[in-house]
Amino acid sequence: MTAHLTAAEQRTRPAGVAVSDLTVAFPAGGRELPAVSHVSLDLTPGKITGLVGESGSGKSTLALALMNAVPKPGLVTSGSVHIDGIGNVLSLTGSGLRRVRGPGIGYVFQASQNSLNPLKTVGKQLLDLGRSHGEKNLRGLLRRARELIEDMGLDAVRVLSSYQHELSGGMRQRVGIVFALLLNAQVLVLDEPTTALDMLSQASVLEIIKRVHRDLGLTTLVISHDLGVVGELADRTVVMYAGRVVEEGETQGILRDPRHPYTRGLLAAMPRITGDLELARALPGRPPDLLTIPRAGCVFRERCPLAMPVCADSEPPDTLSGGRRFACFAAAGSAGATSAGHAETEAAS
Amino acid sequence: MIVATGITRTFAGRGGRRSTPVHALRQVDLTIPDGGAVSFIGESGCGKTTLGRILCGLEGFDGGELTIDGQPVSRLRERQRAPLFRRIQMIHQDPYSALNPTRTIANILGDPLALRARQLGKPDDWIAGRRAELLGLVGLDPGYVLPRYPHMLSGGMRQRVVIARALTVDPEVLVADEAVSMIDVSLRLGILRLLRDLRSELGISLLFITHDVATARYVGQDGELYVIYRGAVVEHGSTDTVIQRPVHPYSQCLLSAIPVLRGIEEPGPDRLIPLAPLEERVEPPGCLFRPRCPFARDDCAGRQPPLGRLGGTEQEHACRYPQNREVVAVPAANA
Repeated sequence: MTAHLTAAEQRTRPAGVAVSDLTVAFPAGGRELPAVSHVSLDLTPGKITGLVGESGSGKSTLALALMNAVPKPGLVTSGSVHIDGIGNVLSLTGSGLRRVRGPGIGYVFQASQNSLNPLKTVGKQLLDLGRSHGEKNLRGLLRRARELIEDMGLDAVRVLSSYQHELSGGMRQRVGIVFALLLNAQVLVLDEPTTALDMLSQASVLEIIKRVHRDLGLTTLVISHDLGVVGELADRTVVMYAGRVVEEGETQGILRDPRHPYTRGLLAAMPRITGDLELARALPGRPPDLLTIPRAGCVFRERCPLAMPVCADSEPPDTLSGGRRFACFAAAGSAGATSAGHAETEAAS
Repeated sequence: MIVATGITRTFAGRGGRRSTPVHALRQVDLTIPDGGAVSFIGESGCGKTTLGRILCGLEGFDGGELTIDGQPVSRLRERQRAPLFRRIQMIHQDPYSALNPTRTIANILGDPLALRARQLGKPDDWIAGRRAELLGLVGLDPGYVLPRYPHMLSGGMRQRVVIARALTVDPEVLVADEAVSMIDVSLRLGILRLLRDLRSELGISLLFITHDVATARYVGQDGELYVIYRGAVVEHGSTDTVIQRPVHPYSQCLLSAIPVLRGIEEPGPDRLIPLAPLEERVEPPGCLFRPRCPFARDDCAGRQPPLGRLGGTEQEHACRYPQNREVVAVPAANA
């Protein structure tokens, strides 16, 4: 219903994103192996959502599906991604998609600090981006680029005339964010934005993300393997494991009282700067990859301290309890909460 | 025991003859006691990796002296150095590229063990026994990993293989440079615990190089911490002292940058950020941290303060105006 609003009107209200029943599969050995399996998820307009998971959890695949950009041979086999003002991204093709990628969703890729063209200055590459999206007002585009670069605490003249190797890791990461926001995206997706950075650069990039998110009124998704990064940034947190959302809720609540044994395990396995180190516990086993994800039952049961016989038979349904969603038989039993077959009940409330 | 005094390392800068040299290390003094745990922390480019490489013999130094078990390295010939540096083994950051992808784990561990068997005069059947013993030590099942190639193992398992390989030559010191940063989060603690156990069970000393202060604390809480800024040690003391009561503003900035788990932690009341990003090309007079320091005063541009205990602090530091600030996150009241 927001489809007929002008771009300026849309800026005043952040766009929401609704992922529903999304499955992305990769064919292997005559079978289709789901990297993302029946995921439903809302990005609340104007909020920062954190997506936590280890390698192979499907978090990057899910994020790419938001732009209908799942790399081949991956295939979306079910579900939809609905963005306010755009509609179902998964039904778009060709030029329709081009209008989403960039102007709709700004994407900061994993290792984006290494994804600049080493042979062109940053300014030239920003102009290329504008031209490839049919932007006529290149002068205006450069003005916006200059503003964005200065917003990030960098010297615009220097950055625009620099080549990739002349910028530090933290600076390149910020340039990546400039690229994502240049075409006035309403939704910003950042895949591991601080992974290769040291603590000080990480802290300043996190501050910048918070600031542009607030100042530009964005809906932001931050993907990280680090609960600390998500804890520092996100209003809501989504925990993924083996292609499933295992827990979702308000960040502080999840950190204070994690319900799913995997979230608990991740939190316990983080060495902390204060408190008793002997409380830190390693998670047993290792995260599964596409080939080793258990085919039936709960995907976490092999590493789970609370596993019960039922966990081997069927996949735990989502349990909703006080704004929290988690998929665990044991935690549901102790919560005494209402079990909902699907997350849509929560989305409707 | 490793003792380094006044270690200096300078690299030629980019841009040919007119370029300014890069001071990677400036007069670094440090001691790694037998069975001790020492951590270096600092941001990218501070020289912590170069220092680790020098201690392993992978890199030379321009000034100062490195003494390993009483023998000054610079006075030894190449041939005499090799057995000394054999005692110091490095665990690299990237377990994906540290192992030869065309060789099985059995070969990867068997080759150095065959060499070791010759050195020690052991029979050939000692190799297989020792190999299984080492894998057990690092928590791997020999039956599972030996016939496999590196790509068939997870990052955590690969890093354990890398550690087992380092142990084949019976080292006295392990140098771990960002050894867990490429490992899945749920597996990191296992590797850190392994390093800790190797120290307590085998008496191997540990040099832990990282930008992640929390992991340094986990591995060496009873050890020593060196905070390195632009090639110079700016604060050094027991790990607990430096983390809980840092006095140098740079250490305080590093500790402030650790993400706070809101909900169970609250930021320290004095949490601070540097005034500016690092300008590597500029060599300010006086204290190197002055341009970024929120507490700099005019006379900080004077002579660089030497490492010492000015102000009667427990730890050594290189600040003219040391002051304790509460920058580390504290447990939340309602947690």
